[in-house]
Amino acid sequence: MALKGLDIFKISPKKNCKECGSPTCMAFCMKVAQGAVEIDKCPYFSEEAKAMLNEQTAPPMKTISVGEHKLGGETVLFRHEKTLVNKNLYAVCVCTECEDADKKLADLQKVDYERIGERMYVEFVFVANKQNDPAVYAELVKKAAATGRSLVLECWDVECAKAALEVCGKDVILDGATPANWEAMNALATEKGVTLGVWAENISDLYDTVKNLEAKGNKNLVLDVTGKTAKETLANAVLVRRTAIKDGDRSFGYPSIVNVARLAKGDARLQTAYAAMFTEKYASIIVMENMTYAQALPLYGLRQNIFTDPQKPMKVEAKIYPLNGADENSPCCLTVDFALTYFLVSGELERSNQPINLIITDASGMSVLTAWAAGKLSSSTIKKTFEELDIENKIKNRTLIIPGKVAVMKGEIQEKLPGWNVVVGPLEAVQLPKYMKDKEYEAAAKAAAAENAAKAATTVEVKELSFDELLATKVPKIEVVDMGVQYKGHNPEAQTFVTIGERIHCIAPAIRKAMDERDPEPILKRAAEQIAAGATYLDVNIGPAEKDGPERMMWAVKLLQENFNNVPLALDTANMKAIEAGIKVYNRTNGKPIVNSADAGSRIGYIDLAAANDAICIALCSADGIAKDNEERMKHCHNMLERGMSLGMTSDDLWFDPLFLVVKGMQDKQMEVLEAIRLFAAEGLKSTGGLSNNSNGAPKEVRPIMDSALVAMCMMQGLTSAIVNPNDRRLMETIKSCDIFKNHVLYSDSYLDL
Amino acid sequence: MSFAPKTQPFSGKINAVTLGTGDKAVVIGGQNVLPFYTFDAPIENAPKIGVEISDAAAEWTSAGLKEFYAGCTTMADYAKKAETMEGADFLCLNFESADPNGANRSVADCVADAKAVAEAVSMPLVIMGCKNLEKDGELFAKISEALPGKNIVCMSAKQENCKTVGASVVLAYGQKVGAETADDINLAKQLNIMLKKDANVPADSIVMNIGTAAVGYGFEYVASTLDRVRLAALAQSDADLQMPIIAPVSTDTWSVKESTASAEDEPAWGCQEERAIDMEVATAAANLTGGADAVIMRHPAAIAAIKKFITELV
Repeated sequence: MALKGLDIFKISPKKNCKECGSPTCMAFCMKVAQGAVEIDKCPYFSEEAKAMLNEQTAPPMKTISVGEHKLGGETVLFRHEKTLVNKNLYAVCVCTECEDADKKLADLQKVDYERIGERMYVEFVFVANKQNDPAVYAELVKKAAATGRSLVLECWDVECAKAALEVCGKDVILDGATPANWEAMNALATEKGVTLGVWAENISDLYDTVKNLEAKGNKNLVLDVTGKTAKETLANAVLVRRTAIKDGDRSFGYPSIVNVARLAKGDARLQTAYAAMFTEKYASIIVMENMTYAQALPLYGLRQNIFTDPQKPMKVEAKIYPLNGADENSPCCLTVDFALTYFLVSGELERSNQPINLIITDASGMSVLTAWAAGKLSSSTIKKTFEELDIENKIKNRTLIIPGKVAVMKGEIQEKLPGWNVVVGPLEAVQLPKYMKDKEYEAAAKAAAAENAAKAATTVEVKELSFDELLATKVPKIEVVDMGVQYKGHNPEAQTFVTIGERIHCIAPAIRKAMDERDPEPILKRAAEQIAAGATYLDVNIGPAEKDGPERMMWAVKLLQENFNNVPLALDTANMKAIEAGIKVYNRTNGKPIVNSADAGSRIGYIDLAAANDAICIALCSADGIAKDNEERMKHCHNMLERGMSLGMTSDDLWFDPLFLVVKGMQDKQMEVLEAIRLFAAEGLKSTGGLSNNSNGAPKEVRPIMDSALVAMCMMQGLTSAIVNPNDRRLMETIKSCDIFKNHVLYSDSYLDL
Repeated sequence: MSFAPKTQPFSGKINAVTLGTGDKAVVIGGQNVLPFYTFDAPIENAPKIGVEISDAAAEWTSAGLKEFYAGCTTMADYAKKAETMEGADFLCLNFESADPNGANRSVADCVADAKAVAEAVSMPLVIMGCKNLEKDGELFAKISEALPGKNIVCMSAKQENCKTVGASVVLAYGQKVGAETADDINLAKQLNIMLKKDANVPADSIVMNIGTAAVGYGFEYVASTLDRVRLAALAQSDADLQMPIIAPVSTDTWSVKESTASAEDEPAWGCQEERAIDMEVATAAANLTGGADAVIMRHPAAIAAIKKFITELV
């Protein structure tokens, strides 16, 4: 993406006149950035603004395409600042004086394998011209091209370069421009439409040569920054990148080539060390003398790590991994697709030397417990994996070992996968070798099988009941108990900050137990506390509730509303049927129900659910993982906004959640979240979110201080609601005070007591 | 207009910490620039290499290691030999056999080994425990007591035991301590604060191990933690993160599949020894590029390559 929507928005007319066909200027700018609309659609953008736009929004570093490969395009110096975009690629060099060129060309093709969904191979052949004989060079280039790999032609002689370009395709970098020959080489590269590589004795000459080439209109360049020593080369690589990204000088905003074969000729291990360094520090193409498996395994592994998006965990493919010679008769062990979990578990299983089928299930790249808590690892997701991979037919053995950390899921999985004997494995992967060697799972599988048989004998077909039938037969009658607290009522039109009390949540063991047993007391107690503390809404999280979601939610809704003057509620579960059922019995006196929550990915359907039931919907501005920047957040925001509005919702009923991030770990992203809130507000949109996530893991006494400071900053930015712990007095007092400053509530000396 | 490179030395500086005593003492840290950024300012002390020897070294299967240490039986034998290795700056004694869930060697035996080594060699010593908090606490205290004035480093103090380890190793016996955290910059800072505030350990008696991994195995967490720790120390002058970093490399790299799978198991991969060496080289280089001031390694060929790497770059 060349232009950034938010940058365009900054210099847009901000009239929101809708003449362009978009609802707001921001929406228009986002579309322009995505290339969906021409900027000329807006009659009010001045020519100066458009020109400035081109100047200001050009990326600091160009993305250069060579064949199917992309080089450069980086926007940061360190991966934690955002993410690195285009991984470095590898080349193996051959030259016209090498006697073993044929062997090298054959050998470089031997390294070709897959690691975590990525093909690992030598992408380029680096063909060095040493003799200045066009025929000899063209002959070698022809052989190199026959490997099917892209080429870097290191050739400073124009005649040789011409001959070479006759015998190869377009996926070529002509690494040939120097301060001496740049005009002729530029003419040749431009004529042939290939990327031009630039090299000079020193970085200052390199800069001048690039300036000269740019003056001739060529910006399809890569810079060969290889110096006389490794030390000089590192300096060049860093200075080039730093000048482009930090100082914004786009004349150094091109990808770099580093030739470590030249820096450590004949020393393969030193080349490995240099290649590791230049992977971290700014080479786009690293040229090696050879690429053996011994070098490739660590170097490609490192590259895969460094170029992983910090906000999107590395995932392995969901499939059956037969280990230690496992076949269809071997038992199965299941875990999630988070790459680190996979490596840990598969490593330990291999150590056990016992044949076993490791089944990796899709969990959005989260670890076992995180995935479980987020509803990404459930009996339904496991069943889906079993169906998609056709495991039922592929494997005859019926023993399924699940991670010890999710022992609670055993019953549900057993129900969803009848015929399998579900066994709870060890808590930690390190315990697996012993567990496997001792065949601890065998006895457990036998017990599970016996249990299943007994169950099968007594099971009767259950027909699915309608909500009304469920309500009549499965929802216990509600008894109204005097908790000494009354909900004061809520005016949905009021501008005051909306607090959504988060304390009725199944992650709390007491609430989980109460929900399971339909025991009103613990739930009412927490509700009363929150209402007394001034909560506007109460969130009702009933857990994943795969089995009895609808009757559970109906009971919880009735229980809370009938006891507390129809307190408005946010219905929170991964079971959509349960939300629907809850809304069926919901009383709207104090405000619409809130559906918690939709996102722009797999939970987009929650918007449809909210629209169909005239509910408010919390819309999480993320899809697969945390949004990487506000560009992405706003894209998700607009996608969800458009979907909701096309289904007849008003924009007021979509409350956008920027996704609050934890300070311990994502400190440098906090200002971005605040900026996102301002952007929502600028479009007149409402917003909310789990604000206290910011202080997760901080000491108990510190959390209220952090939460209060953040809520004040957020309210300044225009946040309209938050999911909070209302029992946090400091936080609630801060919110009340901010509502005074925002002139939402008329001041009186006792405003805190109201 | 020609190019004038802007140099960016920082006002913050990594603490210079001395390991060992006498002629063979080494200093790590001291620079005010990112690793190998000699174009910004000179690197005061080149990064150092520690040679790992283990009380379980008899189980090492690598041909190169067996050959190098041929005839060695005691830890002192290994240490004497390791001291002759090209590129070695200090020695790391790994007492992995002390693990109560493993061989459970007694603390007294380990102390005897450490004493014998200290008498046989003059290079600085770094002590690595068995990862069992309780046993390590005792081990570090007893070894610190047994090697007075040797200025050893005990790796490591963690959040759970930093007070006792700090008190025994540093305050009681004047040795140095390694603060160990796992890819968590906030905890790394907190642990240093706890060592300084709660255990009264002076800042220049602390080195850090901020987390390790072999390349390909979650090294992105190590890489970003190194980047962030260094930027905090230098750009923000955060005194609680200015301790030099020692990265134990070999313990991770020698246990991943690339190093342990035999040529029969993985015919395409070729020689197992070469794979293990390159794994160690790449991981050490990646650590040094990120900010480690010292790496702990095992194989003579890998150490020679990294020594050359460092020499070429500073």
